[in-house]
Amino acid sequence: MKRIFLVLAVIVVLVTTPALRLSDTEGVASAQEPIKLTFWNYWDGKNGETIQALVDRYNEEHPDVEIQNVFVGWGELLPKLQLAVAGGDKPDLAAADMVWMPYLAKSGALIPLNTFIETSGVAIDDFYPALLNVNTYDDQVYGLPVSTNNLELFINKDRFAAAGLDPDTPPTTWAELKDYAVQCAKPDEGVVGIELYTQPGEGLTWQFQVYLWQAGGDFLTEDLTQAAFNSEAGLQALQFWLDLIDSGAYTISDWGLFGQGQACMVMDGSWMVGIWAETAPFEWTTAKMPYPEDGEPATNMGGEHIFIMSDDEARQQAAWDFINWFTSPEIQLEWDMETGFMPVRDSVATNADYQAWIQQNEPRLMPFVEMQQYAHNRPPVEQYSELSDVFSAMLERAIYGQMSPEEALSAAEAAVNSLLR
Amino acid sequence: MTAIARVRTGWSHANRRGDLSAAAIALTPAVLLFALFNLYPLLYSGYLSVMEWDGFSPDKDYVGLGNYKALYESSTFRNALTVTFTYTAGVTLLGVVLSLLVAVLLNSGIRGQNIYRLVYFLPVVTSTVAAAVVWRYLMNPGTGYADVLLRDLGLTPPSPSWLRNPDWALRIVILVGVWKRLGFNIVIYLAGLQNIPKEYYEAATVDGAGGWDRFRRITIPLIAPITLLLVIMSIIDSFLIFDVVYVMTDGGPVGTTEVVGLLLYRQAFRYFNLGTASAMGWVIFAIVFVITLIQWKFFGAREAGL
Repeated sequence: MKRIFLVLAVIVVLVTTPALRLSDTEGVASAQEPIKLTFWNYWDGKNGETIQALVDRYNEEHPDVEIQNVFVGWGELLPKLQLAVAGGDKPDLAAADMVWMPYLAKSGALIPLNTFIETSGVAIDDFYPALLNVNTYDDQVYGLPVSTNNLELFINKDRFAAAGLDPDTPPTTWAELKDYAVQCAKPDEGVVGIELYTQPGEGLTWQFQVYLWQAGGDFLTEDLTQAAFNSEAGLQALQFWLDLIDSGAYTISDWGLFGQGQACMVMDGSWMVGIWAETAPFEWTTAKMPYPEDGEPATNMGGEHIFIMSDDEARQQAAWDFINWFTSPEIQLEWDMETGFMPVRDSVATNADYQAWIQQNEPRLMPFVEMQQYAHNRPPVEQYSELSDVFSAMLERAIYGQMSPEEALSAAEAAVNSLLR
Repeated sequence: MTAIARVRTGWSHANRRGDLSAAAIALTPAVLLFALFNLYPLLYSGYLSVMEWDGFSPDKDYVGLGNYKALYESSTFRNALTVTFTYTAGVTLLGVVLSLLVAVLLNSGIRGQNIYRLVYFLPVVTSTVAAAVVWRYLMNPGTGYADVLLRDLGLTPPSPSWLRNPDWALRIVILVGVWKRLGFNIVIYLAGLQNIPKEYYEAATVDGAGGWDRFRRITIPLIAPITLLLVIMSIIDSFLIFDVVYVMTDGGPVGTTEVVGLLLYRQAFRYFNLGTASAMGWVIFAIVFVITLIQWKFFGAREAGL
């Protein structure tokens, strides 16, 4: 019995001591101590190093604030934010994927930025509107874009040369894209002419959306209440994919062939420029994504947006000051040069220094910078993740020949509409 | 004396000696932990299953049995149930039959028994995710070992390749499931086989029974309680399958490996429909519960001698 009491006594001491100590220091030192802010984001590798360096510099220049930069993996960030909101242990600010923003903005967990933006006199028109509107809900702005990216064409120069093609005259139309791909593919060696994303999920959806927009179609109606892809343009885009498969330009396989040197061409993101510059064991270049002769240039965009979650007014102000600094043209310029992200502000994209820097250091980024103006955003609806999954599941049925293209688009339309209702 | 009477005497006996309070103190932490981490989430998910909630917003909407009704009407969920049943049946049948065969062979006194036991048991203690990643590499189109081996043998691998082929993907996932379970089943079977008295076999041999007869008339009936245990455990585990599928196929191609566990995960952590996900959890719970009850009733109680 005695021993049990001893154990209980130890537990009581262990549980209460940290709490005592915490209240102790807070009482004494709150006047001089800097405000400590927690900042969650999923930037890793080179991007992670760059954000850490920027945060360190900000802390040094602002002794009254101490921002703690915390890495949370892409897959965990949203569930962790959710737990943090439920458990009352939120980060003060965070940067997250733009596709989550409509959901986050609507959740009530983010602090509206309108007053901060007006007081600080931020030139909000300088941000690309397609990026800004995913943060807006009920006329309130809940976040600011900090980085973006888009999809253009990558070409394996070695494969092109082996097939007698010239990488300096890349395909410019869908017809040419198909011809080049058929000529370059070697199905018996597992080499595809153009790599497509054919596993269900957002990978398929966001790649297909580019083809859809290029053919003049749209994913949802303008008021975001109904599917719009079951159209002439949708059919043209899906039929083009099926033609690529039927002609042997592409064979169904797992995504990732281009990096292994097993694809002549692929449409992939600007972030791959930095990665493949270091890892690809072959020569490659980039070009603008070809579009149909009667179509229009288009691409898809991703990226990160920064927002405030703290309930405390002093912390909100401190967090905003950091956001205002981080999104300023000077810091954005530095950030984009270090990471290879696409600019979110027009004044950065058109900046002469920036353009000269790209030409000199990585001209392969140029198609991405030039095409950012044609980038569409994925529809800002909170059910987007589920919507994207059901859409891609129906397209997969057409790719496997289990449905005709018309059937697949109608089935996807019905499924998407029922989710939007 | 009936079992209950026996327990009752034991109980009063313990109480008389003043041990009951000690027992209560000793059990309290375990009971509290169980209540906190098992019972409370279980009941809470039951509560969530009649609500509509996105996990963020402070208010939850009561929808009654709406989530269950939506599941009943969903063809995706029905497909997932079919896939899960197929997977469970495949892994349970193959796993139990194969492991019994291997266990009997190992028990027949071949050399290096311990090495075999180790080799068969290794997959059980290997991290599932790591194993699934390696299996995925083996099955990689073009460059995977499965393809290379087939081509060396002069055979053509299926097109589209293994895990992207609607006919093959589930078979491979079942294969990995069996591979992962086999060692566990074998070890349990071996223990059971070694408990069968040698005299039974000797007597049967004297009476003129051949090897097959001895296996059928002595081994199988005497090992039935263990078979029941393995079947129940295998069904429960297989029904909750998630990690292997998540890593190897993510439910594709065309939904042929889309198990309920995967749908539940997506609903809860990708689409944030926590009500729907909780309802799925309860449907799985009900199914596993009923299957176990049926087995216990019609096969278990008698064979296990309880």
